[in-house]
Amino acid sequence: MNTEKNLTEQESLRLITDMLRKAKGSYHETGIGPLLWGTVVAVASVVTFLERHYQFKMPFDIWLIVLFAIVPQVIISIREKQNAKFKQYDDDMIDSVWLVFGISIFALGFFQNTVPAASAKHFAAEGWTLIRHYTDGSQPDRPQTPMVLSFYSIYILFYALPTLVTGLTKKFWPMTFGAILTYGFFIVSCYVPLEYDMLLGAAAALVCWFIPGIILRTKYLALRKQHV
Amino acid sequence: MFKELDPILHSQLRLAVMSLLIGVKEAEFTFIKEKTNATAGNLSVQVQKLRDCGYIDVVKQFKDNYPQTTCKITPAGIAAFEAYVKALQAYLQP
Repeated sequence: MNTEKNLTEQESLRLITDMLRKAKGSYHETGIGPLLWGTVVAVASVVTFLERHYQFKMPFDIWLIVLFAIVPQVIISIREKQNAKFKQYDDDMIDSVWLVFGISIFALGFFQNTVPAASAKHFAAEGWTLIRHYTDGSQPDRPQTPMVLSFYSIYILFYALPTLVTGLTKKFWPMTFGAILTYGFFIVSCYVPLEYDMLLGAAAALVCWFIPGIILRTKYLALRKQHV
Repeated sequence: MFKELDPILHSQLRLAVMSLLIGVKEAEFTFIKEKTNATAGNLSVQVQKLRDCGYIDVVKQFKDNYPQTTCKITPAGIAAFEAYVKALQAYLQP
Protein backbone atom coordinates (compact mmCIF):
# COMPACT_ATOMS: atom_id res chain seq x y z
CA MET A 1 0.00 0.00 0.00
CA ASN A 2 1.32 3.42 -0.99
CA THR A 3 1.90 5.80 1.95
CA GLU A 4 1.72 9.29 0.59
CA LYS A 5 -0.54 8.74 -2.41
CA ASN A 6 -2.93 11.68 -2.74
CA LEU A 7 -6.38 10.34 -2.12
CA THR A 8 -9.56 11.74 -3.57
CA GLU A 9 -12.53 11.98 -1.17
CA GLN A 10 -14.17 9.00 -2.87
CA GLU A 11 -10.99 6.94 -2.55
CA SER A 12 -10.73 7.82 1.15
CA LEU A 13 -14.30 6.73 1.77
CA ARG A 14 -13.78 3.51 -0.20
CA LEU A 15 -10.61 2.76 1.76
CA ILE A 16 -12.36 3.32 5.12
CA THR A 17 -15.25 1.05 4.11
CA ASP A 18 -12.87 -1.62 2.85
CA MET A 19 -10.74 -1.66 6.03
CA LEU A 20 -13.81 -1.67 8.30
CA ARG A 21 -15.11 -4.65 6.34
CA LYS A 22 -11.76 -6.41 6.71
CA ALA A 23 -11.77 -5.82 10.49
CA LYS A 24 -15.34 -7.04 10.81
CA GLY A 25 -14.80 -10.12 8.68
CA SER A 26 -11.73 -11.29 10.59
CA TYR A 27 -12.11 -14.52 12.56
CA HIS A 28 -9.87 -15.83 15.27
CA GLU A 29 -12.27 -18.54 16.42
CA THR A 30 -10.85 -21.92 15.43
CA GLY A 31 -14.16 -23.75 15.94
CA ILE A 32 -12.57 -26.45 18.12
CA GLY A 33 -14.42 -25.36 21.29
CA PRO A 34 -17.94 -25.58 19.80
CA LEU A 35 -17.00 -28.89 18.08
CA LEU A 36 -15.76 -30.33 21.40
CA TRP A 37 -18.86 -29.33 23.41
CA GLY A 38 -21.27 -30.21 20.62
CA THR A 39 -19.77 -33.72 20.52
CA VAL A 40 -19.54 -34.21 24.30
CA VAL A 41 -23.09 -33.09 25.11
CA ALA A 42 -24.61 -34.92 22.11
CA VAL A 43 -22.83 -38.19 23.01
CA ALA A 44 -23.75 -37.95 26.71
CA SER A 45 -27.39 -37.18 25.86
CA VAL A 46 -27.72 -40.02 23.33
CA VAL A 47 -26.08 -42.54 25.71
CA THR A 48 -28.46 -41.46 28.51
CA PHE A 49 -31.39 -41.92 26.10
CA LEU A 50 -30.14 -45.44 25.19
CA GLU A 51 -29.66 -46.33 28.89
CA ARG A 52 -33.24 -45.34 29.69
CA HIS A 53 -34.82 -46.74 26.55
CA TYR A 54 -33.07 -50.14 26.61
CA GLN A 55 -32.92 -50.40 30.44
CA PHE A 56 -29.17 -50.81 30.92
CA LYS A 57 -26.53 -48.95 32.92
CA MET A 58 -23.08 -47.87 31.81
CA PRO A 59 -20.30 -48.81 34.27
CA PHE A 60 -19.79 -45.06 34.88
CA ASP A 61 -21.89 -41.89 34.67
CA ILE A 62 -21.57 -40.79 31.02
CA TRP A 63 -21.94 -37.13 32.05
CA LEU A 64 -18.48 -37.35 33.63
CA ILE A 65 -17.12 -36.76 30.11
CA VAL A 66 -18.37 -33.18 30.52
CA LEU A 67 -15.95 -32.78 33.45
CA PHE A 68 -13.08 -34.29 31.44
CA ALA A 69 -13.82 -31.93 28.53
CA ILE A 70 -13.07 -28.90 30.74
CA VAL A 71 -9.30 -29.57 30.65
CA PRO A 72 -8.94 -29.45 26.82
CA GLN A 73 -11.34 -26.48 26.75
CA VAL A 74 -9.11 -24.48 29.11
CA ILE A 75 -6.05 -25.34 26.96
CA ILE A 76 -7.94 -24.40 23.76
CA SER A 77 -9.07 -21.06 25.25
CA ILE A 78 -5.56 -20.13 26.42
CA ARG A 79 -4.05 -21.04 23.02
CA GLU A 80 -6.73 -19.14 21.08
CA LYS A 81 -6.14 -16.05 23.24
CA GLN A 82 -2.38 -16.31 22.75
CA ASN A 83 -2.65 -16.77 19.01
CA ALA A 84 -5.30 -14.08 18.46
CA LYS A 85 -3.76 -11.25 16.45
CA PHE A 86 -6.52 -8.82 17.34
CA LYS A 87 -9.22 -8.32 19.91
CA GLN A 88 -12.74 -7.14 19.19
CA TYR A 89 -14.78 -4.93 21.53
CA ASP A 90 -17.33 -7.63 22.32
CA ASP A 91 -14.83 -10.47 22.98
CA ASP A 92 -14.75 -9.95 26.77
CA MET A 93 -18.54 -9.79 26.96
CA ILE A 94 -18.96 -13.04 24.98
CA ASP A 95 -16.33 -14.77 27.17
CA SER A 96 -18.21 -13.65 30.31
CA VAL A 97 -21.52 -14.97 28.96
CA TRP A 98 -19.98 -18.43 28.36
CA LEU A 99 -18.27 -18.44 31.75
CA VAL A 100 -21.57 -17.62 33.49
CA PHE A 101 -23.26 -20.33 31.40
CA GLY A 102 -20.65 -22.91 32.49
CA ILE A 103 -21.05 -22.00 36.16
CA SER A 104 -24.85 -22.07 35.87
CA ILE A 105 -24.87 -25.50 34.17
CA PHE A 106 -22.77 -26.96 37.00
CA ALA A 107 -25.05 -25.23 39.54
CA LEU A 108 -28.03 -26.88 37.81
CA GLY A 109 -26.30 -30.27 38.07
CA PHE A 110 -25.71 -29.63 41.77
CA PHE A 111 -29.38 -28.66 42.23
CA GLN A 112 -30.56 -31.77 40.37
CA ASN A 113 -28.41 -34.10 42.47
CA THR A 114 -29.02 -32.44 45.84
CA VAL A 115 -32.66 -31.37 45.96
CA PRO A 116 -34.37 -34.84 45.81
CA ALA A 117 -32.44 -36.23 48.83
CA ALA A 118 -32.74 -32.93 50.73
CA SER A 119 -36.50 -32.84 50.02
CA ALA A 120 -36.91 -36.47 51.23
CA LYS A 121 -35.19 -35.47 54.49
CA HIS A 122 -37.49 -32.47 54.97
CA PHE A 123 -40.56 -34.63 54.28
CA ALA A 124 -39.33 -37.25 56.75
CA ALA A 125 -38.73 -34.53 59.39
CA GLU A 126 -42.33 -33.39 58.87
CA GLY A 127 -43.46 -37.00 59.25
CA TRP A 128 -44.63 -37.81 55.71
CA THR A 129 -43.26 -39.38 52.53
CA LEU A 130 -44.05 -39.60 48.84
CA ILE A 131 -45.71 -42.84 47.74
CA ARG A 132 -45.82 -44.29 44.21
CA HIS A 133 -49.41 -45.46 43.70
CA TYR A 134 -50.44 -47.44 40.61
CA THR A 135 -53.99 -46.44 39.69
CA ASP A 136 -54.73 -49.82 38.08
CA GLY A 137 -53.58 -51.65 41.23
CA SER A 138 -51.10 -53.74 39.23
CA GLN A 139 -48.32 -53.13 41.75
CA PRO A 140 -48.32 -52.41 45.47
CA ASP A 141 -47.69 -48.84 46.69
CA ARG A 142 -44.06 -48.08 47.47
CA PRO A 143 -42.05 -45.09 48.74
CA GLN A 144 -40.90 -42.69 46.03
CA THR A 145 -37.81 -40.48 46.18
CA PRO A 146 -38.75 -36.89 45.26
CA MET A 147 -37.68 -35.90 41.75
CA VAL A 148 -37.79 -32.87 39.51
CA LEU A 149 -39.90 -33.85 36.50
CA SER A 150 -38.58 -33.26 32.96
CA PHE A 151 -35.54 -31.49 34.38
CA TYR A 152 -33.48 -31.88 31.20
CA SER A 153 -35.81 -29.31 29.58
CA ILE A 154 -34.13 -26.66 31.77
CA TYR A 155 -30.72 -27.73 30.43
CA ILE A 156 -32.02 -27.42 26.85
CA LEU A 157 -33.30 -23.92 27.68
CA PHE A 158 -29.88 -23.02 29.08
CA TYR A 159 -28.09 -24.34 25.94
CA ALA A 160 -29.97 -21.80 23.81
CA LEU A 161 -29.14 -18.74 25.93
CA PRO A 162 -25.37 -18.14 25.43
CA THR A 163 -25.64 -19.48 21.88
CA LEU A 164 -28.25 -16.87 20.95
CA VAL A 165 -26.24 -14.06 22.62
CA THR A 166 -23.12 -15.11 20.66
CA GLY A 167 -25.04 -15.55 17.41
CA LEU A 168 -26.72 -12.15 17.63
CA THR A 169 -23.65 -10.25 18.87
CA LYS A 170 -21.24 -11.76 16.35
CA LYS A 171 -23.89 -11.78 13.62
CA PHE A 172 -23.12 -15.47 13.16
CA TRP A 173 -26.40 -16.83 11.79
CA PRO A 174 -25.68 -20.59 12.29
CA MET A 175 -25.61 -20.04 16.08
CA THR A 176 -28.65 -17.75 16.00
CA PHE A 177 -30.58 -20.31 13.95
CA GLY A 178 -29.38 -23.17 16.21
CA ALA A 179 -30.49 -21.28 19.34
CA ILE A 180 -33.94 -20.53 17.89
CA LEU A 181 -34.35 -24.22 16.97
CA THR A 182 -33.29 -25.11 20.52
CA TYR A 183 -36.06 -22.94 22.01
CA GLY A 184 -38.39 -25.05 19.87
CA PHE A 185 -36.79 -28.25 21.26
CA PHE A 186 -37.35 -26.85 24.78
CA ILE A 187 -41.08 -26.42 24.14
CA VAL A 188 -41.36 -29.94 22.66
CA SER A 189 -39.39 -31.38 25.62
CA CYS A 190 -42.02 -30.05 28.03
CA TYR A 191 -44.57 -32.43 26.47
CA VAL A 192 -42.59 -35.62 25.76
CA PRO A 193 -41.32 -38.29 28.23
CA LEU A 194 -37.92 -37.64 29.87
CA GLU A 195 -35.98 -40.12 27.73
CA TYR A 196 -36.93 -38.19 24.58
CA ASP A 197 -35.76 -34.97 26.25
CA MET A 198 -32.31 -36.54 26.01
CA LEU A 199 -32.63 -36.89 22.23
CA LEU A 200 -33.83 -33.27 22.01
CA GLY A 201 -30.82 -32.25 24.12
CA ALA A 202 -28.51 -34.09 21.71
CA ALA A 203 -30.18 -32.32 18.77
CA ALA A 204 -29.73 -28.98 20.61
CA ALA A 205 -26.00 -29.68 21.12
CA LEU A 206 -25.65 -30.45 17.41
CA VAL A 207 -27.46 -27.34 16.13
CA CYS A 208 -26.09 -24.93 18.78
CA TRP A 209 -22.45 -25.99 18.78
CA PHE A 210 -21.45 -28.92 16.56
CA ILE A 211 -22.74 -27.58 13.22
CA PRO A 212 -21.64 -23.95 13.89
CA GLY A 213 -18.31 -25.46 15.02
CA ILE A 214 -17.88 -27.21 11.66
CA ILE A 215 -18.70 -23.95 9.83
CA LEU A 216 -16.23 -21.96 11.98
CA ARG A 217 -13.53 -24.61 11.52
CA THR A 218 -14.02 -24.65 7.74
CA LYS A 219 -13.79 -20.83 7.60
CA TYR A 220 -10.74 -20.81 9.87
CA LEU A 221 -8.89 -23.43 7.80
CA ALA A 222 -9.78 -21.64 4.54
CA LEU A 223 -8.41 -18.34 5.93
CA ARG A 224 -5.25 -20.06 7.14
CA LYS A 225 -4.72 -21.55 3.69
CA GLN A 226 -4.98 -18.05 2.15
CA HIS A 227 -2.31 -16.73 4.51
CA VAL A 228 0.26 -19.50 4.01
CA MET B 1 -16.54 26.61 3.42
CA PHE B 2 -14.97 23.16 3.42
CA LYS B 3 -12.95 22.00 6.40
CA GLU B 4 -9.40 21.02 5.61
CA LEU B 5 -8.86 17.29 5.79
CA ASP B 6 -6.48 16.18 8.58
CA PRO B 7 -3.15 15.71 6.71
CA ILE B 8 -2.12 12.95 9.14
CA LEU B 9 -5.17 10.88 8.21
CA HIS B 10 -5.34 11.93 4.55
CA SER B 11 -2.67 9.43 3.56
CA GLN B 12 -3.48 6.00 2.17
CA LEU B 13 -1.64 3.77 4.64
CA ARG B 14 -2.26 5.86 7.77
CA LEU B 15 -5.97 6.07 6.95
CA ALA B 16 -6.05 2.31 6.35
CA VAL B 17 -4.42 1.67 9.75
CA MET B 18 -6.84 4.00 11.55
CA SER B 19 -9.88 2.52 9.76
CA LEU B 20 -8.76 -0.96 10.77
CA LEU B 21 -8.07 -0.01 14.38
CA ILE B 22 -11.40 1.77 14.81
CA GLY B 23 -13.15 -1.55 14.13
CA VAL B 24 -11.24 -3.58 16.75
CA LYS B 25 -10.22 -3.12 20.38
CA GLU B 26 -6.54 -3.75 19.64
CA ALA B 27 -4.50 -5.42 16.91
CA GLU B 28 -1.03 -6.83 16.46
CA PHE B 29 1.38 -5.22 13.99
CA THR B 30 1.38 -8.44 11.92
CA PHE B 31 -2.43 -8.33 11.62
CA ILE B 32 -2.34 -4.70 10.41
CA LYS B 33 0.46 -5.54 7.96
CA GLU B 34 -1.53 -8.47 6.58
CA LYS B 35 -4.74 -6.46 6.14
CA THR B 36 -3.08 -3.39 4.61
CA ASN B 37 -0.64 -5.31 2.39
CA ALA B 38 2.06 -2.85 3.45
CA THR B 39 5.76 -3.60 3.92
CA ALA B 40 6.96 -3.88 7.52
CA GLY B 41 9.31 -0.91 7.16
CA ASN B 42 6.73 1.41 5.63
CA LEU B 43 4.06 0.39 8.13
CA SER B 44 6.45 0.86 11.01
CA VAL B 45 7.15 4.47 9.98
CA GLN B 46 3.45 5.30 9.59
CA VAL B 47 2.53 3.67 12.89
CA GLN B 48 5.22 5.79 14.54
CA LYS B 49 3.73 8.97 12.98
CA LEU B 50 0.24 8.06 14.26
CA ARG B 51 1.69 7.36 17.68
CA ASP B 52 3.57 10.71 17.74
CA CYS B 53 0.26 12.50 17.01
CA GLY B 54 -1.37 10.64 19.91
CA TYR B 55 -3.85 8.90 17.60
CA ILE B 56 -2.77 5.38 18.60
CA ASP B 57 -1.07 3.64 21.52
CA VAL B 58 1.73 1.22 20.68
CA VAL B 59 2.77 -1.45 23.18
CA LYS B 60 5.94 -3.43 22.51
CA GLN B 61 6.52 -6.63 24.44
CA PHE B 62 7.90 -10.14 24.06
CA LYS B 63 5.70 -13.20 23.48
CA ASP B 64 7.35 -16.64 23.36
CA ASN B 65 10.75 -14.94 22.91
CA TYR B 66 9.51 -12.99 19.86
CA PRO B 67 8.86 -9.23 19.83
CA GLN B 68 5.17 -8.38 19.67
CA THR B 69 3.81 -4.93 18.84
CA THR B 70 0.19 -4.19 19.66
CA CYS B 71 -1.64 -1.07 18.44
CA LYS B 72 -4.77 0.48 19.89
CA ILE B 73 -6.66 3.61 18.86
CA THR B 74 -6.79 6.38 21.50
CA PRO B 75 -9.77 8.66 22.33
CA ALA B 76 -7.91 11.46 20.47
CA GLY B 77 -7.57 9.10 17.50
CA ILE B 78 -11.29 8.31 17.54
CA ALA B 79 -12.14 12.04 17.67
CA ALA B 80 -9.75 12.80 14.79
CA PHE B 81 -11.16 9.92 12.73
CA GLU B 82 -14.74 11.07 13.32
CA ALA B 83 -13.81 14.65 12.37
CA TYR B 84 -12.09 13.35 9.22
CA VAL B 85 -15.17 11.33 8.19
CA LYS B 86 -17.45 14.35 8.83
CA ALA B 87 -15.18 16.56 6.71
CA LEU B 88 -15.21 13.92 3.96
CA GLN B 89 -19.01 13.83 4.04
CA ALA B 90 -19.10 17.62 3.62
CA TYR B 91 -16.94 17.30 0.50
CA LEU B 92 -19.08 14.54 -0.94
CA GLN B 93 -22.46 16.16 -0.33
CA PRO B 94 -23.91 17.59 -3.57
